[in-house]
Amino acid sequence: MQKILLLIRDFKPGDWIIIIFFLFFILMTIKFFLNFPNGQYLKIQKNSEVLGIYSLNQQNIKIIKGQRGVSEIVINNGKVRFTKAPCKKQYCIHQGWISKINQMIVCIPNQISISIIGDKETHDSINY
Amino acid sequence: MTPSIIKIVDEDHQIAKLSAIAVALSLIEFFFPSPIPGIKPGIANIIILYSIFKFNYSIGIWVSLIRVFVTSIIIGTFLSPTFFLSLSGAMFSLLSILIFKNYNKNHFSLIGISLVASLAHIIGQFIVVRIWIIPHNGILYLLPLFLISSFIFGIVNGAITQKLLTLNVKK
Amino acid sequence: MQQNILLMLSNKLIVFIIISFLLACDSNLIYQKKDFIFGTMIEIKIYGEDKTKSDIVSSEILEEFHRLHQLLHSWEKSSITEINQAILKKQPINIDNEIIHIIKDAQLLEKKTQSLFNPAIGKLIALWGFHSDHLPSSIPNRKKIINLVKSFPKMEDISIKDHLLISKNQNVQIDLGGYAKGYSLDQAKKILRQNNIKNALINIGGNILAIGQHGNRDWVVGIQHPRAPNAIASISLKPGWSIGTSGDYQKYFLAEPSDTSNEFILVKNQRYSHLINPHTGFPENKTQSATILIPPSDNSGVLSDVLSKPLFIETKDQKITLAKKLNINHFLIIMADGSVMISQNMLNEINWYDEPDAKNIITD
Repeated sequence: MQKILLLIRDFKPGDWIIIIFFLFFILMTIKFFLNFPNGQYLKIQKNSEVLGIYSLNQQNIKIIKGQRGVSEIVINNGKVRFTKAPCKKQYCIHQGWISKINQMIVCIPNQISISIIGDKETHDSINY
Repeated sequence: MTPSIIKIVDEDHQIAKLSAIAVALSLIEFFFPSPIPGIKPGIANIIILYSIFKFNYSIGIWVSLIRVFVTSIIIGTFLSPTFFLSLSGAMFSLLSILIFKNYNKNHFSLIGISLVASLAHIIGQFIVVRIWIIPHNGILYLLPLFLISSFIFGIVNGAITQKLLTLNVKK
Repeated sequence: MQQNILLMLSNKLIVFIIISFLLACDSNLIYQKKDFIFGTMIEIKIYGEDKTKSDIVSSEILEEFHRLHQLLHSWEKSSITEINQAILKKQPINIDNEIIHIIKDAQLLEKKTQSLFNPAIGKLIALWGFHSDHLPSSIPNRKKIINLVKSFPKMEDISIKDHLLISKNQNVQIDLGGYAKGYSLDQAKKILRQNNIKNALINIGGNILAIGQHGNRDWVVGIQHPRAPNAIASISLKPGWSIGTSGDYQKYFLAEPSDTSNEFILVKNQRYSHLINPHTGFPENKTQSATILIPPSDNSGVLSDVLSKPLFIETKDQKITLAKKLNINHFLIIMADGSVMISQNMLNEINWYDEPDAKNIITD
């Protein structure tokens, strides 16, 4: 603890400006993302190809075949997550649940990604 | 045996030594599991900073680039997206140090420099990821997390580098 | 001290600029213009062009649409209504090359679709009350309907010699409602090409043409659900492809059938849409919507507008044969009971938002 205090005493004024700026920047990005509302739909993609869009208002399991094998995705009333993946480190599973618009988890080895999209459907125009 | 045409100077020895340590640190970091992909202490950056402020900027550039290339060749990620991420991070942070390297020692300590370099490093990597690797705005969700770890390790690495520099001076 | 802080601040400023650039990245490259012509919504999207050029080209396109509105309108004063009046008076009328081309094209398409596409039934459409900006509310006199159908007005009744048009059937009244949007798309296509615009999306009342791509992905189009206020699915339009839908959900009215003849199914508040079967004289009610994709060609716009109608009107068992005959490989048909007929090609590319349970997949 004392070592940390010693360290802080060594900070110069310029350092403090940088520190404050950095923290301010972090707070701004956090605030920016907290403002995203909860999503309505799950979008599953293989690279940039859309495999499907599913409502979040359900309890369902999606089995998706990717580059390396099968990824398992669970939709549970507003949140989604990976539950099975054919990759070594299983990072995608460790990331847990996502539910806010624009949140996304990518399984890079299998090239499968899940992302949350909002009420607005993601098309350029509508045919009727 | 014809005498070698390339003259090897002392500087080259320094570069080689420093690069070797930097690569070693990178490799250790690689084999140490991290809970979240992409969040690393970046301890090799200590060597880079050390090289720049103990010796000079160009030595720092050499060490940094050699570190990126050699590490990726050894790990096997050469020319993969990971390699380009590493390279862009290194380049952005080197650039930011260029701006600050003639700092006034009374206004900035090495901690500040390290923070700037660390911030530039992560921004540089995010730019490459956003434009090329995962072109969605969704990845920006990870930005706060990476910024925080950049911040913490920026300070830690800076402090360690500071310590190393003062230790050497005493010698 | 000041010099260093300035440097540091400028460094941070660059960072901010870069981040906001990234976040705004995509939106800067899309130009969008909306308007209301032909009594319907027009939407023009242009990708990757500077604003000035996009403004100029979209203005040119909208101007052309205004011109076509005045040329082809079905009931407001236009070249077509002039022709219709002449036909009523049994008088020949002088027409220009563009109209000649359009009428001949319509005649060809009428033949190809065995009169399921029949733009000569303007009188029938007016009788049902659809020649107005307001929706009708009651069923017309049955006798009038039957008499009109008996006289069988069709484009074939029209003949053109030199620049003189004459019709041997006085009941012919041209209504290009199912043709004009497609024709306008083809005209827009020409304007875009002349101006070297490589990536654009034109939507005329739901009929859409895709030129090039949206950046490095295809343009994606939603398909309206016939009975819900959202899209039922989305589909990527490859460069040059167009999409058209005939549906009973846009222009229709609900009424109780006034007649107790056994030719009708007595349903309380039956839906009467503007898609009238030329052979029966009544709006077709066994289909909710028919959507088709048309590959790139000079008149793909017209085809995407025109050919969805016969597919909509035709009986269920004949729809597939008709699609094949008309060379339509991508179609999605939603029947009155909600069941779906979809071609394999369409199924391969469609992304469901609201996947229907009963799907009849047509392979050939």
